[in-house]
Amino acid sequence: MLLVDIILPGLVLGGMYALIALGLTLQYGVARIMNLSYGESLVAAAFGAFSLYSGLGLSPLAALLLAVPVAMVLNWLLYRFLLERLMRRGKDRGAQEIDSILVTFGVLFVIQGAMLVAFGGQYYSYSYLSIPLTVMGSTLAVNRLVALLFAAVVGFAVYLALTRTRIGTAVRAIAVDANAARLVGIDVAALSGLAFAFGGGLVAVGGVLVSMFLTFNAAMGVVFTMKALVVVIMGGVGNVLGALVAGLLLGVVETAVARLVDPGLTLAATYALFLGVLLIKPTGLFGRAAS
Amino acid sequence: MTRPMRAALWCGALGLAAAVVTYPLYANGYYLALGISVLYFTILATAWAMFSGPTRYVSLATVAFFGLGAYTAAVLGETMSWPVVLLAAAGVGALTAAITGLSTLRLSGIYFVIFSFGLAELIRQLVIWYEVNIHKSVGRYLFSAVTQDILYWQLLGLTFIVFLVGWLLGRSRYGLALRAIGTDETAASHSGIDATRIKLGVFILSATFMAMTGAVMAPRWTYIDPAIAFNPTISFQVVIMALLGGAGSLFGPVLGVIPLVLLFEVLTATLPNHFSIVLGIIFVFIVMVLPNGVIGLFGAGRWRVPAGNPAPGAARKTDATLLAVDGVSKSFSGLRAVEDVSFTVAPGEIIGIIGPNGSGKTTLLNTLSGALRPSSGTIRFSGTVLNGLRAHQIARLGLARTFQLVRVMPDLTVAENVAAARLFSTSSGCDATGGELLDLVGLGTMHEAPAGELTYIDQKRLELARALALQPRLVLLDEWLAGLNPSELETGIALIAKLRDRGLTIIMVEHVMDAIRALCGHCIVMNAGSVIARGTPDDVLADPKVVAAYLGGDDA
Repeated sequence: MLLVDIILPGLVLGGMYALIALGLTLQYGVARIMNLSYGESLVAAAFGAFSLYSGLGLSPLAALLLAVPVAMVLNWLLYRFLLERLMRRGKDRGAQEIDSILVTFGVLFVIQGAMLVAFGGQYYSYSYLSIPLTVMGSTLAVNRLVALLFAAVVGFAVYLALTRTRIGTAVRAIAVDANAARLVGIDVAALSGLAFAFGGGLVAVGGVLVSMFLTFNAAMGVVFTMKALVVVIMGGVGNVLGALVAGLLLGVVETAVARLVDPGLTLAATYALFLGVLLIKPTGLFGRAAS
Repeated sequence: MTRPMRAALWCGALGLAAAVVTYPLYANGYYLALGISVLYFTILATAWAMFSGPTRYVSLATVAFFGLGAYTAAVLGETMSWPVVLLAAAGVGALTAAITGLSTLRLSGIYFVIFSFGLAELIRQLVIWYEVNIHKSVGRYLFSAVTQDILYWQLLGLTFIVFLVGWLLGRSRYGLALRAIGTDETAASHSGIDATRIKLGVFILSATFMAMTGAVMAPRWTYIDPAIAFNPTISFQVVIMALLGGAGSLFGPVLGVIPLVLLFEVLTATLPNHFSIVLGIIFVFIVMVLPNGVIGLFGAGRWRVPAGNPAPGAARKTDATLLAVDGVSKSFSGLRAVEDVSFTVAPGEIIGIIGPNGSGKTTLLNTLSGALRPSSGTIRFSGTVLNGLRAHQIARLGLARTFQLVRVMPDLTVAENVAAARLFSTSSGCDATGGELLDLVGLGTMHEAPAGELTYIDQKRLELARALALQPRLVLLDEWLAGLNPSELETGIALIAKLRDRGLTIIMVEHVMDAIRALCGHCIVMNAGSVIARGTPDDVLADPKVVAAYLGGDDA
């Protein structure tokens, strides 16, 4: 059935997009870093999972236990030694955003270059839980469903952490207004670093999960960055729930275009959707009205 | 500078120019290719900085336009004459920039960066799709008689044109307008600058140069496919080069182009596998250490723009009513911030709008100045209906304002702030020069100070001078006296009185009741979005409803 064939894989794909975008929501929404090297970090985590699986036979889900702490430490160092200085130097949010874009742009090349040296330009994939499963007449791979389940659990946990804990509340306060947060005694620099590191950990989760079912190479980080950006901005900056809905929407639209129009036009469809949302509601589907 | 020194400089410049022009005659293949790289990156980086430098809209889409130009040349190159091909490439670049610019330049900076980041990828995908499905083969061969020498001279000509255009633009009023937009777009539009149109125009101009560079460069490759023409590294390289040199000035980018082209050349020869790592490290280094570029180190980062001449004053109309506000309401999804407000203002009058915080005073001013559109009701300003006009149009009609939270354009000097408001002024009113206006508000000695470094009070003064520079007939002052100490308050009140005596009409939102009493003949009191009282200051301040609104209590 065509409709099921579009909606079900679309939702699975969309769940993955939402997962990919979760980390960026924290990094951009809270730490105010528009991290252009995001996709490269994701691909790096995918390579990490690949190496652990093919080298040591470690399951990707176990690899998460290693990948996430490593990614958090690396991201924290990145924030502490490069980005925090820019945050202090920037006169206003605009200047900070532009500076952080430019610096992470450089980081993008460094990570990509390192991966090219280590793995070359060819495509990699490995087979883990790639068992076909028929759901409502539509065929899906088990690894995709496992990834989707993980994404849902992680997303829900992040949502709870942000809305139900003291630190989460402080983090949301920073997302709304860093200066005001400082005035009520929140350590903005430390928590922003933490949020950035946490975002980095989520990128690693995304990368490891994606590596279970996607073919990847060292040069494709940009595609992930773009998708994550589109989802974050469509969903409203810093809005976890918005990112989820935007991710699902994007997945369904892409699958529909690939099925009904032409697989070569999916990226064009992404942009059309993105641009449409920006023009009609620039603060995202669930964003607050601009002040 | 002494005469012999100047002569020596001229000789040096002429010698350099001659060396650059005759370069292909004595440079061999390798060095000629290097020269070509320097030139084409110079054009791209200068064109990039022309738009992105002053506006700070960082565009990562250079290669989109470059690639379109190259592809146009590849498609049309065999069948049409070269000038036609070049024009077609320019046209394709300009058209694409117009379409994408129209939809994205209204967005704030960050969205623009992201969009431009993906634009090249999007266009590449569309070109691939077109080639696969319509042309049935990806990639085209390009046989052309253009030698390296001719290529070099074509690029040199284009380089000359891009510098000439950049120089003219920087000197024109559009140059200052562009910088005003870059530093505070809201303040710029309330100074009569049509921000959208100017940004779009310069964006198109910049993209046209990029597309033409692509077309000129196309014969360098005998085979073109989308991966070559839309190689994203080009966008990145252009941005670093412009930033290294300094994007804020015309000759900054070229200072970044020369060392980096040479460095990239060395890198590709010695460390081809580590190229992008080194590229990334350089990029990080430049952003961290040289935020204003090499040229910033010499303090030559900015253009100086002569203050604009005052527009010729037209004969002043004497209307019985200057401003008529009729039944204006403004609601924000359910919340009615302003409800059915009507009043009129006669020429030469000072009207006070008072009321507790949150009563809708600033929202009302925002509907008058075009910052917000009223949800209903009409606003007439000397006969013209203002509803639906944009901020810059209203400013040009002669309705100026200051902001409650002061908005100067911090990176421009004091004099430039005032000059920016004159650029497109067509209204008539007080015909003082920018210098006189600054004397009037008490900033006569600070012309060259960057506005961002002024104290709060001086920024307020500057805002008033900028509003007056529009040669307005009506000025809206939003709590302009707030935060002044008693002696400054006295000077401020005297200044407003002086403006009234010169024939200016003023609407002031104010909490300082002494000022209201001293200046306003007529007052409107607002509470919860509606007008609750009107009359002379003494009358309304004695009105029990007004007292209740301010102090609370039973106002049922």
